[in-house]
Amino acid sequence: MSAGFQDGLTLFGVRRMMEGVVPPVLATASAARVPNVSYLSLAEYVDPLHIALSYQFLNRSRENVLATRRASLTLDDPYTGAGVVMQLEYVRTETAGPVFERLRAKLMGVASHAGMADVFHLRGADIYHVLELRRVPGRREFPGAQPRVDLAVNSRLLSERMANCAELADLLDTLLVGLGELLHIDHAMLWLFEGSQQVLTLLASRGYDFDGAGAEISVGEGIVGTAVREGVPIRVGHMMNMATYARAARDRADAQGIAPAARAEIRLPGLKEPRSQIAVPLRARGRVLGALLAESGHDQFFGYDDEDALMMLCGQFAVAMSLLQPQDPEPPPAATPPAAAAVPVDSSRALRLRRFARDNSLFLDDVYLIRGVAGAILWKLVNEFLRSGRREFSNRELRLAPELRLPDVQDNLEVRLLLLQRRLTEQNAPLRLEKAGRGRLLLAVNRPIVLEQGDS
Amino acid sequence: MALTQEMIDLLAAGVAHQVGGCTNSGRPVVCRGMAAQHEAGMLVIIVSAESGFEVLDAIRQNGQIAVNVTLPANFRSMSFVGSDAVVRGGGAAYRPLVTARHAAFRAQLDAYGFPPDYTNAWYTPPDSDLVAIRFTPTSARNQTPGPGAGNAVELKPVDLER
Repeated sequence: MSAGFQDGLTLFGVRRMMEGVVPPVLATASAARVPNVSYLSLAEYVDPLHIALSYQFLNRSRENVLATRRASLTLDDPYTGAGVVMQLEYVRTETAGPVFERLRAKLMGVASHAGMADVFHLRGADIYHVLELRRVPGRREFPGAQPRVDLAVNSRLLSERMANCAELADLLDTLLVGLGELLHIDHAMLWLFEGSQQVLTLLASRGYDFDGAGAEISVGEGIVGTAVREGVPIRVGHMMNMATYARAARDRADAQGIAPAARAEIRLPGLKEPRSQIAVPLRARGRVLGALLAESGHDQFFGYDDEDALMMLCGQFAVAMSLLQPQDPEPPPAATPPAAAAVPVDSSRALRLRRFARDNSLFLDDVYLIRGVAGAILWKLVNEFLRSGRREFSNRELRLAPELRLPDVQDNLEVRLLLLQRRLTEQNAPLRLEKAGRGRLLLAVNRPIVLEQGDS
Repeated sequence: MALTQEMIDLLAAGVAHQVGGCTNSGRPVVCRGMAAQHEAGMLVIIVSAESGFEVLDAIRQNGQIAVNVTLPANFRSMSFVGSDAVVRGGGAAYRPLVTARHAAFRAQLDAYGFPPDYTNAWYTPPDSDLVAIRFTPTSARNQTPGPGAGNAVELKPVDLER
């Protein structure tokens, strides 16, 4: 701790004041001692003696800091109204590295909601040495909110529940249900990263009017897309506050002719008006496999402790998801094809399965079903069924199928199959995928099918 | 120079106040203000003597001041700069102004989910702690976040009728 820190105060201890819920205020002065006061987007804890401040725009604060290397920062506690003031000495500006990436991820996660991703970008992370840290005296503090649950104990309980899961579908449900029951997180979604298409696909959700499995967003879109791209958690405590800040900056940019033409804002997934969101990447084997997005209708719902707990739980989930790939049995002896393939197709009542090869998107009677890896798999299964009448398939043959030849299919085939199963169920489709034993699938079809190539 | 009507209206709209100064040794300082109003070509800003002691010391040294007001609803933000600031005891005479500005500010924060009592932490020092800083704005800057924040905004000539 620095000699300039008031007794008992540490930078780590005031990190929750750096969330931007109450925006940080930066005071600088010119070489002629003319003061300037302005708001910042973000401050970030770096280490016990340093913080980072977002550097986005060339403005008077920036000029002053470069001229004098001195600044004062004041932060307010979003729970109690307590405040601290720091004296800062500018050290350097970082344009790469973990601190820069954390700040950029938080900033872009918010900016993308306001259509500001192109303008509201981070030029650098200004690193400051904190010379002094003291409380603002004379404040009558508001009693802080009590923790809603014992996060350590309940996270352990949820971890134990997940450790007992032997099936991927069970693992998914256990996590989403447990978040509600044990952590009181009632709105959550699990997104799967489709590396080949650079999109996120919604795998499962809980706490919404509809499940939405198969929905897609781009990598980098919203806080969940940004969390996946950067591989870091992002938490926003006052969505309205940050969105307003971003919109103000966009309006200024528009007025100066800097921004592109106004665009429709990206609709936030899930809750119509979320007040808090947290996105946590699913990381395993050094890769990002997807992300958890949790929401709340309450402001400042997720704290640092939630972030720590969810990072741990999502890490466990990601590893388990990778491991829950059934051992493939030897292929069974070729079964006698059932009569299904020989049944003449009455095209007037046949299900039309249409495929667009460019992205493997599938449509059932003109209704979009799914695309990507899951689409390619279903297309193969139905083709095989119509050709030979075979209904049962092994995971192994899918992994080895030359026509799939998709680079990441081996990573989480089980997840794609689960997504496909859920999507078919949600659409009440006349064909289903069912488990037929360990590592085996059964294609159930209760209507004739005709195939069409949509882009041939 | 004096404020435009638009600036005067902004002061009463429920803004947050931040007051900055700089000591003769070049130390920038900042504190939260509670209320501001236009008085005959001058700007008066009310702060707590206890929480704003560093800023008051700096102003007593050289009279340099920057006051930022920001409206939470849209982050519209404006700074006023002066070099002739003086610190005067405010006391109970400014309590009605502080109460009115506090109510407007609280209404702004309500939309963001802050409990009504949250801002009491900032607005309820005793009357004896209220201090008025008075200065002539020599320039104004648009501090709305974004490119160009800190650029000058035109003031109008002093209107002694106000």
